[in-house]
Amino acid sequence: MNKETEAVYDYQVPLITGNQTFSSITDRISSITESKTTKEWLLLFGLASSLMLLLFGSIGYLVWEGTGIWGLNNPVGWGWAIVNFVFWVGIGHAGTLISAVLFLFRQKWRTSINRFAEAMTLFAVICALVFPGIHVGRIWVVYYFFPIPNQMDMWPNFRSPLLWDFFAVGTYFTVSLLFWYTGLIPDLATLRDRAKTKIRKVLFGIFSLGWRGGNKQWKHYELAYLLLAGLSTPLVLSVHSVVSTDFATSVIPGWHTTIFPPYFVAGAIFSGFAMVMTLALIARRVYHLEHIITMTHLENMNKIIMVTGMMVGYSYSMEFFIAWYSGNPYEAYAFINRAFGEYAWAYWIMISCNVIIPQIFWSRRLRRSIPVMFIASITVNIGMWFERFVIIVTSLSRDFLPSSWDYYSPTFWDVSLLIGSFGLFFTLFLLFIRHLPMVAMSEVKGVLPQANPHHGHNGHEGESK
Amino acid sequence: MNIDSSTYTFTQKGTTGRNALIVGVIFLIVSAAGYFMNSAEFFQSYLIAYIFWLTFALGGLFYTLVNNLFGSEWNIVMRRLNEAAMYSFPLLAILFIPILFGMHDLYHWTHHEVVAEDPVLSAKAGYLNITFFIIRAVIYFSIWFLLSRILYKMSLKQDKEPHDDIILNMRRFSAPGMILFALSMTFASFDWLMSLDPHWFSTIYGLYIFAGSFLAILSFIVLVSINLRDKGILTSEITVEHYHDLGKLLFAFLIFWGYMGFSQYFLIWYANIPEETVYYLERWEHGWNVITMLLVVGHFTLPFLLLLIRASKRRLSLMKSIAIWIILMHAFDIFWLVKPNFSEGLTFSWMEATLILGIGGLFVWNFWNNITSHPVLPVGERRLKASLNFKNN
Repeated sequence: MNKETEAVYDYQVPLITGNQTFSSITDRISSITESKTTKEWLLLFGLASSLMLLLFGSIGYLVWEGTGIWGLNNPVGWGWAIVNFVFWVGIGHAGTLISAVLFLFRQKWRTSINRFAEAMTLFAVICALVFPGIHVGRIWVVYYFFPIPNQMDMWPNFRSPLLWDFFAVGTYFTVSLLFWYTGLIPDLATLRDRAKTKIRKVLFGIFSLGWRGGNKQWKHYELAYLLLAGLSTPLVLSVHSVVSTDFATSVIPGWHTTIFPPYFVAGAIFSGFAMVMTLALIARRVYHLEHIITMTHLENMNKIIMVTGMMVGYSYSMEFFIAWYSGNPYEAYAFINRAFGEYAWAYWIMISCNVIIPQIFWSRRLRRSIPVMFIASITVNIGMWFERFVIIVTSLSRDFLPSSWDYYSPTFWDVSLLIGSFGLFFTLFLLFIRHLPMVAMSEVKGVLPQANPHHGHNGHEGESK
Repeated sequence: MNIDSSTYTFTQKGTTGRNALIVGVIFLIVSAAGYFMNSAEFFQSYLIAYIFWLTFALGGLFYTLVNNLFGSEWNIVMRRLNEAAMYSFPLLAILFIPILFGMHDLYHWTHHEVVAEDPVLSAKAGYLNITFFIIRAVIYFSIWFLLSRILYKMSLKQDKEPHDDIILNMRRFSAPGMILFALSMTFASFDWLMSLDPHWFSTIYGLYIFAGSFLAILSFIVLVSINLRDKGILTSEITVEHYHDLGKLLFAFLIFWGYMGFSQYFLIWYANIPEETVYYLERWEHGWNVITMLLVVGHFTLPFLLLLIRASKRRLSLMKSIAIWIILMHAFDIFWLVKPNFSEGLTFSWMEATLILGIGGLFVWNFWNNITSHPVLPVGERRLKASLNFKNN
């Protein structure tokens, strides 16, 4: 068969290239956390943490001055802060999708990317949680958010989607953290066994929970992993469905539509995968992981980006069609205004980045081109940020009373908080890749040919005729 | 009935197809009598029965497309069963014709005088008019027929001249095919079901119908393979491992169906806009709440709980009961979608049963013809052995 054409069978494509052995995988991944800090890392860390300081500084000023420093006006009471919240929650979807859903689907290629995708999920959710927190204005009474008993007998409104957000995102974060940590345990034990310094030995010793790699331990571990995957899968769907109800339970034209829950979930997976792609390409280059995160992995991710992009496109067209079909003049106006009104530029950025650009991945050549996929992964996230902007701002800026219509423009502080949140995200991510194994070593070893009990006897398991 | 155990071709077709045809024709004739008694009721029942069987073929088409794209191996042993159900569109296109004759009884928006006085309906007359409706139906059937025919032919060609390129071509063809399928299925469900109440609208409607269709075909495959097993066909080829995986898929899409249904209900309930809530009000008052609750409990909760358990997915007798149950619930789902548009109170018509059996007879006859005319396993498929040896880990 011609090598240039697509592989027909999964086992025709080696997932890990470069004749890796168990020990070469361990060395390759562990050494990233053990060797001396590189200049590139320090440079990136310096940049990211400076941006993080910008975030903290801006939050400080926000708390001092109040939300008046933002570009919010009446009727646009939800601006960039909520856009950023939804954006970051969305990014956080890929991690659990890769670790849980692809695990249940027996997609073995997930093993090279699941660890840092899960870490990315946690950091994205942390970034997301910043925004509703600071949006309350009086941050010292932020505990009003939480359903905790208090002497004033004040409870949050249980019928409010904002409270469901609190539960949904909180559950998601907790389960994702447990899932990520469970997956880390065998690898932490590897690092413990390789540790040269006392402090590493003690710390990894504590966090590897006495892992010895015995048969019984693996058996329990794999059952726990399967159960956590089963528990996490509904969460992948529920979190962004609940976020979508922040909008869809209202009666605002452009917000209230029944497709919102699955539409938001598809968009979240779309943006999450794009972010995994951006990070994977950088990490792969900096740490020379080309044999572990191979072109097959990247190509598969691009396919998922393309599919989810089309699901998002389907939702856009359904919204548009039904807005017309409903015969409701307000609904129709909301969509015409999106496409041709004052915010048309944002709408068309969204359409171009989310629906049009991902179509380049129909071409196998472009699907396998690193520069192309790097740029596409970034434009997807630009597009997905704009999607939330379009939904939130265009609908709010044209409410039912034309006398209150207004144009929303962000201020310096809106921008600084968004950029700063990237600083927080990358700071956490850089700390993670420096100190923890960024690829799941034990799982990658499981997909090596040597891990197949028949290896060396009859060739590949499934290849027999 | 006999089957050649090396080529997996039927040496005798057996009586199943002929029996199904007889049942189908008899029940259609009986139902035709109903047409002369109450033509409006006949067409309503016909639409329910027709959509019910159409969803099996559409679900089958989706399953074929998605299998080609995913390249999954475990279900190759059941591929022919799915393809045979999918390749029903010539028959279904002919059976669609009575709906065109019943349009005046079924679709309120075909009444010019009503549309003229109704500003909302006049506004959408550009989409909801008889000519465009027929043009669209022709487009949908052309898409479905061509997709299913080309995919079926490619798969059959593999039996005679196996070549890896066929798998690649099926995959390449399925990618744009999936887009066409998604759009045609969505708009067909808008046209044929949602427009029964032309004022009402929901963006998730197409996905809801899709979810039900996929459940229908999965249950159908479970049922057919157990039926074949009882006849001594594919007894060692389709193993408990395959049923287990089918059960998982069924479980996942039961949740998906519930998710779609809940998303629609919940958002409409919460926003409480009269032009939307009317849909659920019609399906709650005057006895309809019985069917609504039956769907919540029977179409979701009960099979969800059963399929949650590993052992039940691996017990064939139980899987068979679950499959029959889901198909029954699916029929109630279609009934629930269509009937409240016409009848304020919960009523059943005997024609609903006879037409489901009548069209079903023809559907099964067509299915049986397909399945017995070709090898019942895709013998030229190189991954077949992997599929036969498939084990759940």
